[in-house]
Amino acid sequence: MGVTLTPPTPADRAQAARERREIDSSCRGPVLHYAASAVAWLLVGTTLAVVASVKLHSPYFLTGSEYLTFGRVRMAHLQAVGIGWSAMAGMGGACWLMCRLSRATLLYPKLLHVAAGLWNVGMVANVLGILAGHGRSVEWLDSPPYVAPFLVASIGIFSVWTAATFVRRREPHVYVTQWYILAAVFWFPVLYLVTVGMIFWVRSTGVMQMVVNWWFGHNYLGLWLTPMGVGAAYYLIPKIIGRPVHSYYLSIIGFWALALFYSWAGIHHLIGGPIPAWLATASTVGSMMMFIPVIAVAINHHMTMLGSFHVLRYSPALRFTVFGAMTYTAVSFQGSIESLKDFSEVAHFTHYTVAHAHLGAYGFFTMVMFGLFYYMIPRLTGREWFSARLISLHFWCDAVGISIYFVSLTVGGWWQGRMLNDPNVPFGNIVEYVRPYLFTRSVAGCLMGVGHVAFALLLVANLAGWGRKRGIGPAYFVAPAGKPAAGEPAPV
Amino acid sequence: MTPTNLAILATIVGAVVLFGAATVLAMGWAVRAGQFENFDRGARSIFGPDEPVGEPTDAFPRETD
Repeated sequence: MGVTLTPPTPADRAQAARERREIDSSCRGPVLHYAASAVAWLLVGTTLAVVASVKLHSPYFLTGSEYLTFGRVRMAHLQAVGIGWSAMAGMGGACWLMCRLSRATLLYPKLLHVAAGLWNVGMVANVLGILAGHGRSVEWLDSPPYVAPFLVASIGIFSVWTAATFVRRREPHVYVTQWYILAAVFWFPVLYLVTVGMIFWVRSTGVMQMVVNWWFGHNYLGLWLTPMGVGAAYYLIPKIIGRPVHSYYLSIIGFWALALFYSWAGIHHLIGGPIPAWLATASTVGSMMMFIPVIAVAINHHMTMLGSFHVLRYSPALRFTVFGAMTYTAVSFQGSIESLKDFSEVAHFTHYTVAHAHLGAYGFFTMVMFGLFYYMIPRLTGREWFSARLISLHFWCDAVGISIYFVSLTVGGWWQGRMLNDPNVPFGNIVEYVRPYLFTRSVAGCLMGVGHVAFALLLVANLAGWGRKRGIGPAYFVAPAGKPAAGEPAPV
Repeated sequence: MTPTNLAILATIVGAVVLFGAATVLAMGWAVRAGQFENFDRGARSIFGPDEPVGEPTDAFPRETD
């Protein structure tokens, strides 16, 4: 909305607010389509997650149906949350952020509805196909072969739409969030097409298939979800607290360093596997270089927040976003350390890696997306959130849930790795040893599930028009003492 | 070299060229367009007259109404 160096006049404020509202209302249909679909896939994915998790410590749970065997349910869970929830949440948020940052009303809304519809059709075929036994044993690419065309068509439309919006922008400066979004919508289609082409059309096999598989698996997080998440945090944190990002220079360094180094890192998943040593070493180097963008982002987010941590008490969006941003630093540091060969000797191929993956995909990305939704949706629907208590329940269930999840599987996984490396420990003993940790994981999953149901209820209530009509002000979490809550008249 | 290996090599080289060229082009455009010249302006570009610097937008109810 341009640079503000002098105090704005009331007329300027009114004009800028009108423009912002016009942009927000133009986004309403397509962005809510993406957001509601994302939340639906989150609920599906959560249900599948709990079933898969329980099966690991209670193997006789739901054994009567071939549709619900662990292998199928686990793959369907990954696709529902990874490709369903995460991608649709990211794309919905990116639509709104691109329009706001470009100062452009949303172009071609029907085209975006088609894109979101195609993604949904692909996801229905994906999850049902996997449960029916059509899944493929390539992690992150578990979807049946008939799913890819839907996803390719959808992301193709979305990428072209993003580029078109960028070309039509009225704000000359490209904010760092836009860099991240533009990069993501360029990287992901290339990544997906190259990988699907090399694994399923050219049919590379053996070591080559593993290498391509993990180049995709890791980069799906790093070149698709991470740019969306970090980009959103770079918008939300300064915007919510009303303070420009601490060092814009660092934010640009962080973006270009991510662009340079991240795509090298994926092969560290195969350390200890039958791959050329130079490939693993190059990947370790790329992983260690990731300290540069991560430290840049960590310094920036922390220094921007310094002195404003009290706002966490009042803002639901900030609460989720800061949790996610702090987790991004933690999970990225952990990821770099995990790429070291000595460390991998213990942690690799254990539940430790599962804990790490969930810390990234959930503790970082999903929490930032929740923050983005809490900020964005009232501005699209014109209604405040229905219940501050449900928001609070959502936050604490998710924050405590992912913390328990991470700690239990990290500790259990580490000792699992130590025992696996000891030839004197019988394998059956290791299986028995990790059972309590897996049970704890199920409890944590249920807790997060409660949070997701609370969030879904809030979203449905908001879409149904049950929240208070909002003016041009913020969405409130807790009204400061002596001040009215959202929509209430000011004290006289 | 088998046709499969040739296709894989072509894909890898093609992807590297595409990614590399896109990066160089994007950086070149950004430099020419002055995107890296005024970082203070860049940081403030998300604020505006209706939501200026210094005003939180998701808390402190009375200040933004």
